[in-house]
Amino acid sequence: MIRKSKQAYKQAPWRRQIQSIGLSLLPVVAIAVIIALYLIISGQAAAAGLQIMNLHYEEEEILRTIANQRTQLAWITSYSQMQKRAEKMGYEAAPEINVHYITIAGYQGQNAVLIAPPPGIENDSALLVNELYNLSLSNWFLDTFFIASSNGIGEDS
Amino acid sequence: MKKSYVSRLNLIGVSLSLASILIILQMVRIQNSTKHQELSQWADEEYSYAIENYYPERGNIYDRWGRLLAGNEDVYEVGVMLEYVANPATIAQILDGVNQLNYQDIFTAASQTYDPEKSVYAVLTDFLPSGVIDTLSQMKQDYKLANPNGRKEKLPSLQGVVWNAHLKRSYPENALASNILGFYSFMDRENGIGYYGVEEYYDDLLAGTPMEIFMPRNPYLLEDLPDVPAGASLVLTIDREIQAMVEKKLDEAVEEHEAESGTVIVMDPRNGEILAMASQPRVNLNQYWKYEEEFEDKTPFNRAISETYEPGSVFKVLTMAAAFDAGTVDEETIFNDPGRFEYGGSTIYNWNRRGWGKQTMQGCMQHSLNVCLAWVATELGKEDFYKYLQAFGIGRRTNIDLGGEEIWPLSTPDDSDWYPIQLATNSFGQGVAMTPIQLAAAVSAVANEGKLMKPHVLKAIIQDGKQYNTSPQVLSVPIKPETAMIVNSMLVESLKEESSLALVPGYSIAGKTGTAEIPVEGVYGIELTNASFVGWGPADDPQFLVYVWIEKPGSSPWGSVVAAPVFSSITQDLVLYLDIPPESNEQTLIAKES
Repeated sequence: MIRKSKQAYKQAPWRRQIQSIGLSLLPVVAIAVIIALYLIISGQAAAAGLQIMNLHYEEEEILRTIANQRTQLAWITSYSQMQKRAEKMGYEAAPEINVHYITIAGYQGQNAVLIAPPPGIENDSALLVNELYNLSLSNWFLDTFFIASSNGIGEDS
Repeated sequence: MKKSYVSRLNLIGVSLSLASILIILQMVRIQNSTKHQELSQWADEEYSYAIENYYPERGNIYDRWGRLLAGNEDVYEVGVMLEYVANPATIAQILDGVNQLNYQDIFTAASQTYDPEKSVYAVLTDFLPSGVIDTLSQMKQDYKLANPNGRKEKLPSLQGVVWNAHLKRSYPENALASNILGFYSFMDRENGIGYYGVEEYYDDLLAGTPMEIFMPRNPYLLEDLPDVPAGASLVLTIDREIQAMVEKKLDEAVEEHEAESGTVIVMDPRNGEILAMASQPRVNLNQYWKYEEEFEDKTPFNRAISETYEPGSVFKVLTMAAAFDAGTVDEETIFNDPGRFEYGGSTIYNWNRRGWGKQTMQGCMQHSLNVCLAWVATELGKEDFYKYLQAFGIGRRTNIDLGGEEIWPLSTPDDSDWYPIQLATNSFGQGVAMTPIQLAAAVSAVANEGKLMKPHVLKAIIQDGKQYNTSPQVLSVPIKPETAMIVNSMLVESLKEESSLALVPGYSIAGKTGTAEIPVEGVYGIELTNASFVGWGPADDPQFLVYVWIEKPGSSPWGSVVAAPVFSSITQDLVLYLDIPPESNEQTLIAKES
C-alpha cells in the first residue's frame, strides 16, 4: 500500500506539490474560518445592539404616545366636554325630588380607584420568558446530565 | 528547469512572508505610537458615547376616581439643520404666523451660514401640536417630489426643516381645580418647576430624577442602557364632579352678592380628605404665564390656604367646645345677657347692640351672642382658653400637602403683643386670624368625635408600577367625644330653631354662621365683612364638612344671609354625589335591609 503511494508520487510529482500547498493552506483556511465566524458573530451582535438601540427609541416613542393618548382621552372626557355632550343628548341634572334611594344587597358603594397594583403583588411578566432562554450551555449540560442523573440515583435509593 | 521553478516559488514565498511581517510590524508600530493613543482617546471621547439628558415623564395627577387632572401631551420643536437648508424663503413663508412667528425672524434664522463648529442647528419654534407637524410633513414630502435635492432655486423646498417630539404638561380641565393643582412651568424645558398647590408640594416626586445618560455608540455596549423611571403619579382626594359643582356655585354666589372673592372647602372630617377646595380667582393652567394678569396685588393663588383673616362667629364653635370640654359650662348653664360686657378696659357688644336676657348655651350659639361667648371665655380662663385653641391647631400650619400655606401667629398671654381684651374678642373670632383650611380643620374635630385629622389632598402615590395608598393622620384630640356630641346636637338644634337658610331638607345639619367685621384704618365696622358658614352632616354620622367664606359681600354683610344659602345649595348637591340618603329615606332603607 505504501509502495503504491510512493509509486504514485514518483509518477506524478504535482501530487506532492498539491499536498504541500494543501498543508500550507490549511492553517490559512482555519484562520479564515475563525475570522469568518468571528465576523458573523460580531455582525450579529452589532445588529442586536442596534436593534436594542432602536427598541429603546421605539419604547420612548411608545411611552410618549401612551402619555399623549391618555391626555387626549382626558381632554375628550373632561368635565366641560362631558357636560356639553350630556346637554346635547338631552340629559339634565335630576332634581332632588326625583332621586330615589334603593337598597342593593351587598353593594358597598363605588370602589376606590386602583390605577396600579398595590405593593406585594408581584409582576408576573418575568415568567413570560422561558427559563431555558436564560440558561448557559454549560449550565444546561450540567443540569441535564449531572443533576438529572443524581436525581435519578436519589429516586432509586 | 525544475530547480529554477522551485527557487522562484521559494522567492515568492519569502517575499510574501517578508511583506506580511512588515505589515504586522507596521501595525504594531502604529498601535503603539503616541499619535495613535491620542487619536484613540479622542475617538473614545467623541464617538464612544453620546451624552443624552433624559427628563423622565412628569407624573400624572388624578382625581379620587382616576380622572386625569394633569398629564402630558406630545408637542414638537421645529428647527433647521443649516447644512441642508436649500430655500430659506419657503421655510419662512410656510411657518409665517405659526406660533406667532414672523417671516423675517424665520428667514434670518434659516439663512445663517453653516459652521460645523458654531452653527449647525437653529430652533425656529417649539410646542407645536401634532396637527401642524402632519401638515408640515406632507408639504415637505410634496416639495421633495418636485425638487428632490432642493437644487432648483425657483421651486419651493423645505429641505433642512426638522422636528423633534417631546412631552409638554397638559391640564385637560383647564382652570378647574387650578387653585389646588398649581402649575408646572413647562415653557422652560430644562429648568421647569412646579409652582403652588400639588405641583409645588410634590414637585420632586412628580419630576422623577432627570438623568444624564451615556449612550454608547458601540453596539456591543448597548445592552447596558439604564432604565430611567418616570416621575411618580398622584391620586388626589379631590372629586372632580364635586369640585366643578362647588366652583360653579361659588362663582354664582360671589357675583350675586357683589363680593370681592370667595372660598369653599369641602372635606371629610373622618379622615381629613379634601373633596373640593374652590377659591377665586382661577387661572387656565395651560396658559399659566397669564397668572400675573389674574392675580394682581399679591392676591394669593389659593385663598383657602394662603389668606389669613378674622373668621368671626364661626370661631364660637371652638370657644364653646373648649368651655364644655373643660366643664366651665354645661347644657343647663344660663347666662343673663345684658347686651354689653366690660373686660380689659373695653366693652363688648352683641351684633345688634341689644341684650338678649336669659340664654342657655344653645341660645348663645343660636343668636350668636358675642357678650355670652366673651363671658364663657373669661369663665374658662385665659390659660385654658389658649391651651384649647392651640390643641385645635390655631396659630400652627395644618401642613396640608399644598404649596403656599400661610399662618398668622396666635398671640397668647405669654406674648408681649397680647392684651387682656383679646381673650374676650378672640372668643367670637375677632382679633385672631387664620386661613380657611385652619378653621375647617379645627371645626372638623367637633364633627369627628373630638379627633382633629390632618387635612390632605393626596390619596395615593403610583411609583414603579405600584400604588401606595396614604393613611389618615390624627393631629390631636382637643376635646372628648362626649363634648363633641353635645356641641354637635347643640348646633343642630340652633340651626333648626333659627330656621337657618343653611338647612338642607331631609338632612340634619350642624353648623354656625359667621360675620366678621373688617377693620378699615384700625376701625371695625359692619360696612366691610367676611361672611362665612361652617356646617357638617349628617349630624349623627358626619361624612362631610363644608366651609363657605364670602369676602366683602356687597348685597348684605351677614353670613346668615350670604354664606348660609351657599352652604345649603352646595350640600343639597353634595349629598347626591356622596350617595347619602335623606334621614327618612335612610330609616326606610335600614328597615328594608333588616
